[in-house]
Amino acid sequence: MIALVRYMSTVLLLSQRYLAPLLLFLGLVAVLTSSDTGPLTATYASVAGALLPCSVWLTTALVGLEDQPHRSIVVVSAGSRLRVLLATVGTATLWCLLLTAAGLVLPLMLGAHSPAPADLVLGTAAQLTCAFTGMAVGLVCSRLVFRRQGYALVLALLLLLAVLLGDGVSPVRTMLTHLQDAPDSSAALVPTSLMLAAATGLLATAAAVTQAITRRKA
Amino acid sequence: MLRCEAVGKRYGGGRWVLRDVDMEVSGGDVLAVVGGNGSGKSTLLRILAGLSRPTTGSVSGRPPRIGYVPDRFTAPDRISSLSYLTHLGRIRGMSASAARTRGDHLLERLSLVGGRNAALRTLSKGNAQKVALAQALLVPPDLLVLDEPWSGLDASAHGVLAEFIGEVAAQGGAVVFTDHREAITETHAGGAYVLGDGRVTPHGGRHTGGRLPMVELVLAAPPAGTPPIEVDWSGTPGVVDSARRGGEIVLRVAREHADAVLLTALRHRWSVVSLTGAADEAGFRGGAGRAVR
Repeated sequence: MIALVRYMSTVLLLSQRYLAPLLLFLGLVAVLTSSDTGPLTATYASVAGALLPCSVWLTTALVGLEDQPHRSIVVVSAGSRLRVLLATVGTATLWCLLLTAAGLVLPLMLGAHSPAPADLVLGTAAQLTCAFTGMAVGLVCSRLVFRRQGYALVLALLLLLAVLLGDGVSPVRTMLTHLQDAPDSSAALVPTSLMLAAATGLLATAAAVTQAITRRKA
Repeated sequence: MLRCEAVGKRYGGGRWVLRDVDMEVSGGDVLAVVGGNGSGKSTLLRILAGLSRPTTGSVSGRPPRIGYVPDRFTAPDRISSLSYLTHLGRIRGMSASAARTRGDHLLERLSLVGGRNAALRTLSKGNAQKVALAQALLVPPDLLVLDEPWSGLDASAHGVLAEFIGEVAAQGGAVVFTDHREAITETHAGGAYVLGDGRVTPHGGRHTGGRLPMVELVLAAPPAGTPPIEVDWSGTPGVVDSARRGGEIVLRVAREHADAVLLTALRHRWSVVSLTGAADEAGFRGGAGRAVR
């Protein structure tokens, strides 16, 4: 599994396809948080929101790197399709963790804040919630499911809208509204962790759906 | 080992690509799947390799280590061939250094042109095909599945490919390959299946699961004494191929005719440089060679 993640990360790094989502994320974070002096709870909420589309983009880019014959070779080498899919999820998580680290540090450099440990934990949990949800959307809209990238893009945008606006169904929406109203970070930790768990469940479901569809199509 | 029973395949609601395919592959077998373009050869191979699930029927006994070479190898953008092989070796559970050494060795044997540290996408079709072949052989496979492996390879690589196939079979692995040229399948395969109309029929071939024993005989003019008499080697019974390499004549002879050919050579005052057992293959390893008239 480590070999697979290493391989996929190398291919992604060499392809430079990570650059666009990375720059989008850094740009969004810079715009949303520069000279911001408010509570970090709300700041990290907006950073998490910015990570959502970037994680979708990163995941689809990662899956789209390999075309079918090439993926076949990797699948035969790894021994199973599921292992390759899990490695894809692992690689996307790894790259989203890098973005999360940037999203934690940048607001502190761009604005005037005095971070408490609770703020940082909350910032990580909030960003990972969005990252997992974004990866779930990215997997379902990836080349594994859709041959035609146009349809995939439309579906991805619709799903993003649904996730951002769907009251009561999406962990992202629930978490973001909750964070805007939260008095401080430590109070918001427990509900955010619950949403993180929900987002993990969503990612697992999306991976299962993707696996089922890929197997059927193969 | 590997058994297909009543395998059928269709994509979505489309036509049946394969229907009622029964096939059995045992260790040491070298099998060819012959058929025209679009006859379902690639689909059958993908099912054998476990990449595709049959719509009906079942496949059982698939071995753990499979090597797969797709018909079109499109490399991931910018990775170098050696680094690609190292990564794939690691994915197969080798250590990085072992994978690198093995990959280097395979590329050496296939005489990859274009540099093993150059990006894969800069390689020509044939050279990319060599990398595709090398990745399937990083660990000795129990089942080697090759989709049109000869297309795009140059003459010398043809010989190396035949050697690889022989080695896998000698180690107890099974080889299944496709080609649309009957000549190639006849020289390389121990048995053949013909695909037509989605159905498979076993076809001729020597269903012994092995290769024809061959002898490679290298002759030269004796260092001293009278020059030898020219012989029409290609017309001699048992001689499968003959070529001239420098001052030497290289003959590939079926095992049962080897003694007679050797006797003819000696009678015509040729001197024997070497005599080796060889795998059944059409081309010579060195590749370069004019037919002896």
